[in-house]
Amino acid sequence: MEVREIDLHVKRNFDRWHSFLIEHGISGFAPQETAAIDRTFIWNEAGQIIATGSIAGNILKYIAIDDAYQNGGAMFNQVVSKLMNEAAQLGRFHLFVFTKPKYIKSFSYVGFHLLAEVEDGAVLETGTPDINDYLDQLPKINDQHDKKIAAIVMNANPFTLGHRYLVEKASRENDSVYVFVVSQDVSLFKFDERFKLVKAGTEDLKNVIVVPGKEYMVSYATFPAYFLKDDQNVGRFQAKLDAELFKNKIAAPLNITRRYLGSEPYSKTTDVYNDELSKVLPPEVEVRIIERKKNVGGKIITATQVREAIQRDDLSMIKNFVPETTFDFIKENIGLLKDRF
Amino acid sequence: MKIEKTALAGTVESSDIQFTLSASDNGIQIDLDSPVKDLYGKQIIQVIEDTLKAYNIESVKVKAIDKGALDCVIKARLVTAIQRSLGMDEPNWEVL
Repeated sequence: MEVREIDLHVKRNFDRWHSFLIEHGISGFAPQETAAIDRTFIWNEAGQIIATGSIAGNILKYIAIDDAYQNGGAMFNQVVSKLMNEAAQLGRFHLFVFTKPKYIKSFSYVGFHLLAEVEDGAVLETGTPDINDYLDQLPKINDQHDKKIAAIVMNANPFTLGHRYLVEKASRENDSVYVFVVSQDVSLFKFDERFKLVKAGTEDLKNVIVVPGKEYMVSYATFPAYFLKDDQNVGRFQAKLDAELFKNKIAAPLNITRRYLGSEPYSKTTDVYNDELSKVLPPEVEVRIIERKKNVGGKIITATQVREAIQRDDLSMIKNFVPETTFDFIKENIGLLKDRF
Repeated sequence: MKIEKTALAGTVESSDIQFTLSASDNGIQIDLDSPVKDLYGKQIIQVIEDTLKAYNIESVKVKAIDKGALDCVIKARLVTAIQRSLGMDEPNWEVL
């Protein structure tokens, strides 16, 4: 048996790998999923693929082992070990895997910890820093377990008066509010900018704590769903997983008993997401869906409109939609922002 | 000495052990995951502590996933992880 790395850009390699995975029950090969793969390894025996595994960012993906070589899990352990060592050489020590619930045990055996499980899939992590390290370094409140604590998760791309309205309301109705800013960098405004603007825009609210969401909050944009059947609703699955993670791993240890959401008249994705949160979180975490704030002209405030206005250079419109802190940033950097489109 | 740079060594295959070392803000912290923890946990932690001591490491977070490794394997894997973290090419022979 030999293990080697293959280049999936070579069509012959891709086809062999692809048909091996299909034979072993993995069916999703959306271009955005396969394009995200950094390294792929195959184990060969007598010219046949008997196992494979890939690394995509900090996610282990496309792991499959031929039944004849399962060998009580020894082959699986070898594949995961190889991937972890290769990931470490790339400087990645904190790894995730998305898998079917029946493989939770196998991954737990090699040191992965379950973050969330739903009917169709599960997400696990291993390495360092893990979710306990993440929770440890979050700012805490005195007598946290006797306080009324709320949470808001936002991308804030960028922070608008709508976000501000939601935070203010939560700030008034609770002892403390954690605002988790989505860490994933897939937006017009970079994480550092979004984070800074949320902080600046809520600075006067003393019971508001702004923190990064890291990998644990709404990274559903990148949750792979490649092991799901095509007819399953990927968005719903991802939202459910995200809601479970939040409820059990974030809200419970931090004593968060309320989650505030903005109502969603425009985006179907966010609507599905709100819907799943409302199903999963209660009764432990109460969900409060707050009507969107309207500006002076009676228009609903959305970050989408602000981004469109940036593209049009329409500073006077932006002024009606965002707090001064965000406005100043946009005004100063409008050229740079427009270049990102 | 303090471990600053995260490093990994070893595997999770049978009879092996996998170490991940990273920076700690609270001295030596050892997190051991082993199927024989009840029987040999103390002994494994002793080997880890002795090896860290030999390298004068006073601050590190150690994550160990043990799959039934013998003491010599535990020591060898940990030494490799320490060296990778400290960027050393050769073991500290004098202390081993």
